[in-house]
Amino acid sequence: MAAVCTASRVLAKKVLSAKALPAISQSSRKLHFSVYGQNNSKVSDGMSTQYPVVDHEFDAVVVGAGGAGLRAAFGLSEAGFNTACVTKLFPTRSHTVAAQGGINAALGNMEGDDWRWHFYDTVKGSDWLGDQDAIHYMTEQAPHAVVELENFGMPFSRTEDGKIYQRAFGGQSLKFGKGGQAHRCCCVADRTGHSLLHTLYGRSLRYDTSYFVEYFALDLLMEDGECKGVIALCMEDGSIHRFRSKNTVIATGGYGRTYFSCTSAHTSTGDGNAMVTRAGLPCQDLEFVQFHPTGIYGAGCLITEGCRGEGGILINSEGERFMERYAPNAKDLASRDVVSRSITIEIREGRGCGPEKDHAYLQLHHLPPQQLATRLPGISETAMIFAGVDVTKEPIPVLPTVHYNMGGIPTNYRGQVITHTPEEGDKVVPGLFACGEAACASVHGANRLGANSLLDLVVFGRACAHTITDICTPGEKLSPLKPNAGEESVANLDKLRFADGNIRTSEIRVNMQKTMQNHAAVFRTGKVLKEGCDKMDAVYQTLDDIKTFDRGIVWNTDLVETLELQNLMLNAVQTINSAEQRQESRGAHSREDFKDRMDELDYARPLAGQVKKPIEEHWRKHTLSTVDPKTGKVTLKYRPVIDHSLDAEDCAAIPPAIRSY
Amino acid sequence: MSLLSACASASKRLVTQGLFVESAFTGYLRTASGAVKDKEPLRKAKTPQGRFDMNDEKTKDPLEKFPDDVNPATKEQGGPRGPEPTRYGDWERKGRCVDF
Repeated sequence: MAAVCTASRVLAKKVLSAKALPAISQSSRKLHFSVYGQNNSKVSDGMSTQYPVVDHEFDAVVVGAGGAGLRAAFGLSEAGFNTACVTKLFPTRSHTVAAQGGINAALGNMEGDDWRWHFYDTVKGSDWLGDQDAIHYMTEQAPHAVVELENFGMPFSRTEDGKIYQRAFGGQSLKFGKGGQAHRCCCVADRTGHSLLHTLYGRSLRYDTSYFVEYFALDLLMEDGECKGVIALCMEDGSIHRFRSKNTVIATGGYGRTYFSCTSAHTSTGDGNAMVTRAGLPCQDLEFVQFHPTGIYGAGCLITEGCRGEGGILINSEGERFMERYAPNAKDLASRDVVSRSITIEIREGRGCGPEKDHAYLQLHHLPPQQLATRLPGISETAMIFAGVDVTKEPIPVLPTVHYNMGGIPTNYRGQVITHTPEEGDKVVPGLFACGEAACASVHGANRLGANSLLDLVVFGRACAHTITDICTPGEKLSPLKPNAGEESVANLDKLRFADGNIRTSEIRVNMQKTMQNHAAVFRTGKVLKEGCDKMDAVYQTLDDIKTFDRGIVWNTDLVETLELQNLMLNAVQTINSAEQRQESRGAHSREDFKDRMDELDYARPLAGQVKKPIEEHWRKHTLSTVDPKTGKVTLKYRPVIDHSLDAEDCAAIPPAIRSY
Repeated sequence: MSLLSACASASKRLVTQGLFVESAFTGYLRTASGAVKDKEPLRKAKTPQGRFDMNDEKTKDPLEKFPDDVNPATKEQGGPRGPEPTRYGDWERKGRCVDF
């Protein structure tokens, strides 16, 4: 039996039909992977004679198959839409799998709880830059979303009564901050993200979603300001595929790889943000990037603050415990942003460690090894695997590391992508939706709370599916598309494939990453940012001089990395330019020269008698950035924050106040 | 080498003689190579074990499993192993911070 199956597998190659596997597929349900030459796809010559182009028609296309993408894809399939999921990675390899923290939801299993208190905590955590209607939507839907996940089979940890166990995490409080610590974080042992992704993927196989795995989405097909689909490159055979549909959902994740040190996978390259930028639409709040002070140099894993809590100290190249100078009382236990800035200042002033003097050391070998083993079990293993050091003898090299991008594609609370003009306000872009880390709804505002991002994925993935179900019906006829739509993307692909300049992709990428790490990281002042903007502009111009080596079209990873580099560059220039313009400190964006938050009223003093500043004079507004891809020039506009909740009687909006924990 | 040629000839026979021969043959393979007893035995060992294959000792996981997977202090079932991950304010496991 085994040999028969082997023979048939070898002979049949990609063309698998029900006849070859009689015992396995009893039903006539379509297999979940795409078969070349499906009946709704046809080859077209309209665009290019050198690149074979296949046109597909679907009711909805989802780009990205992480937590948010999968939830949107099968939500749409469940509602009866013919859905395609285009992803450059196999769904269970998306970066969601690395999210080991938990999900927040006000289920009230450990003590009485109310989602309005979760709403308050999230609004406060976002430093009043989050849109309160989106936060209202997310926190109100949180219990339903978690229960729905649990019904899909996600094995949350339980209390003795069998209810989902919730623990205290992530700045959550009761009674609008006055009732003490809230226990809201649900988890699955220590692999919540992994379990979420596998649960969603397994669930999605029940429905008829067509998966296009290892298809790199190049660009959106826009016509008259409306999104009509996506054009993608099949990495396996080099064919170009145009997915025409009335609804496109972008769920491509964040762009951690613009920085030298980040916790993200190599595939977190901000493809969705770049596609939207090239379509002429703005991205929102890209300057808000969440850092962690102690990430392992080179590997990007974060070392817990517990190391410093147990007595670990940070030292510079002179062996000095430099935290004593920056925080004389708290020393190494100062808050995360103080520690990040201190490390960065030490490195900038030349006291960094290592051959390139670009990191600091976290010393633990002065602590008794027994104490380390009991209080921090597993740390010696982690240090050996990721840093190659024996933690009982050598210090661990650390530097501030990017963990999450709060900014992204601006959407409303329903997941529809919006643009903004001062006259008309927020305007929906028809046919385009976004969810997950790629989108900025904006629920995280200026700073993300722990365990809220997994919630963001499922709630807004579902919201996109619901919105599309409300607006459209399955099987609607598609509006006509120009036969040569997407030819610029193919021209760009061709140019990169035969690029013969002087600088390699990897060199340009490292230049960009080091520039961003040195200039747009935690330590931000006007001078440093301006210098960074000029350097980034120079690096952007070197893209014209790029050199690639692989001229083939089948599985050309050199080409795909170069396309990803183009996407990263667009994200990087917007990030650093938005940071340079924003002259205040709010949440994750903190500047040494403008240390305070600048709102329309000064909330540190009594409000009576104060005059509201007009929007041009204060900074409680979203940044909308656009780039001209040819020159790399960034234009910035601003959009006001939405301060009202969805239902003022059900849940009152929270007026801004000074944020202190 | 002889084992490989035996495999090749055996596979030709398998096509004609079907399951019966196969089960006897794999039984022979399993005992010959001294393969580790798994929870569910492999139908056919994937590669023959040679002299140089190292005996892979299972490294001891520093985080111990709770009895019955129930945390004795918090009575949580199916929760994270080892000390409470959020004890330092961030989500920590094996010294790595995964969420904060």
